[in-house]
Amino acid sequence: MLELKGFACGYGLVQAVEMLDLVVPAGKITALLGPNGAGKTSTIMAIAGHVDVQRGEVRFENHDLDGRSPADRTRLGIALAPEGRRVFPDLTVAENLLVGGYTQTAADARRAEESVLALFPRLGERLRQRAGLLSGGEQQMLAIGRALMARPRLLLIDELSLGLMPAMVDLCFEVLVDLKRQGLAVLLVEQNTHRALAVADQVVVLVSGRKAYEAGGEQARCDPDMVDSFLGIREM
Amino acid sequence: MFYVELLLVGLVWGCTYAMMALGLTLVYGLLRILHVAQATVFTLGAYVGLLVANHTGSLALAFVAAALAAGALGPLIYRLIYQPILDKPPFVALVASIGVLIAMEDGFRLMFGPSGLSFADNTWFTTTYSLAGMVLNLVQVWIVAAAVLLLSAFAVFAARTRAGVAWRATVSDPQMAESFGVGVIGVRYLNFLIASLLAGVAGVLVGLLNNLVEPGMGGVISYKGLAIIVLGGLGNVPGTLVASLLLGVVESYGSVFLDRVMDRDAIAFLFLIIVLMVRPQGLLGKAH
Repeated sequence: MLELKGFACGYGLVQAVEMLDLVVPAGKITALLGPNGAGKTSTIMAIAGHVDVQRGEVRFENHDLDGRSPADRTRLGIALAPEGRRVFPDLTVAENLLVGGYTQTAADARRAEESVLALFPRLGERLRQRAGLLSGGEQQMLAIGRALMARPRLLLIDELSLGLMPAMVDLCFEVLVDLKRQGLAVLLVEQNTHRALAVADQVVVLVSGRKAYEAGGEQARCDPDMVDSFLGIREM
Repeated sequence: MFYVELLLVGLVWGCTYAMMALGLTLVYGLLRILHVAQATVFTLGAYVGLLVANHTGSLALAFVAAALAAGALGPLIYRLIYQPILDKPPFVALVASIGVLIAMEDGFRLMFGPSGLSFADNTWFTTTYSLAGMVLNLVQVWIVAAAVLLLSAFAVFAARTRAGVAWRATVSDPQMAESFGVGVIGVRYLNFLIASLLAGVAGVLVGLLNNLVEPGMGGVISYKGLAIIVLGGLGNVPGTLVASLLLGVVESYGSVFLDRVMDRDAIAFLFLIIVLMVRPQGLLGKAH
């Protein structure tokens, strides 16, 4: 699926992430964790094509992503639900979804919209409402729904739970599990370590731009030191 | 009746401002450029319209030719002037834009003379209608009709078409829109095309209304247009339209009641200054 080899990314002369090897397999949720400034968002934005890859290789299925525009990557099957959600606030929910499916044929977009609305019935009730007027949770649903409109095989999600009510967080995580069961590869950046660990099939921790820990989901859940030593948060 | 007539005259002016200011606010909304050179697109439209009308005698042809010429010039200004300096601070594009305006104005002066040209046969100007004691000429009627028609067409495009939705998404978050496959460069050209078509048509109409086309005719209307888009809340399309009509009406009443004190352009700018002191975020802009 997605494979990073000797990957380094950053902005100009600043290197945010170095020497990262990572495989994000289909049908699994890969959680990318780490303290603020560890390079999680930079990694996700580099995979989406918005941040420069400075060294190494990023491969998706059989394609080298080097030199491909963000739109090309969307066409290849990579879609992004970015940090801060970044829905189009002046557009209605339906219009946000339309833009999400811009790379698709009309028939494919219609099918994608049906499955997004089945996944998030709440969006269906608010199709004509401006996205800027939605609650934070609904905006997150819309950001994920917009990404799914591109019918991706890899979904990149940056900060799923940030600023959401607990009930919404539950709902969004349930949807992620649904999506992975349908065979999607999910790369999740999440500050709520506890929640991320609960759903992850694979955990990678970044500290200061380097991989500090890597384990399967089960092992990470049984590994009490991991959370303490790398994230500096003491969980109960 | 006199007051109603003043209101009508003001709304007619407001419609010409709206056709200019919509383009300015579109360009600002997308690229954060104060597109002063829009005035030169307006003036080019007026000259092309006048020359074609005087050679062929057909106003329909004049409008088509003006729209084509203006529609070509606007995107060309984007490609040649703005695109190479998009990553520079906004005032660089503003200075370049003023430069284009001055150069083109002098170009018109060299080609067509400093004193301006008139339509050989301006039947719209001489055709008048009186309605309950008020007199309007056909140019004024067409200005309102053209503004309503073109702005409605734009509203339908923006709200109802796939390209319109993509265009609005691009204005809102270019990076996100682009990553979902919207062609951002195409959206920019489209933006300049729409702005320029409106300006070109407005140029011919104002030329007909004054029965005069002169090199500097775009200057004042363009500066007013800039003030209007600030008044409307920068990048805010409904606000821009309201501000355009309101300014036209204020000018119309002011030029009657304050005519011993100041002229209509001074009234317009005084009004803009006062409104911006009270509502710096613009008429329909949100506070903060």
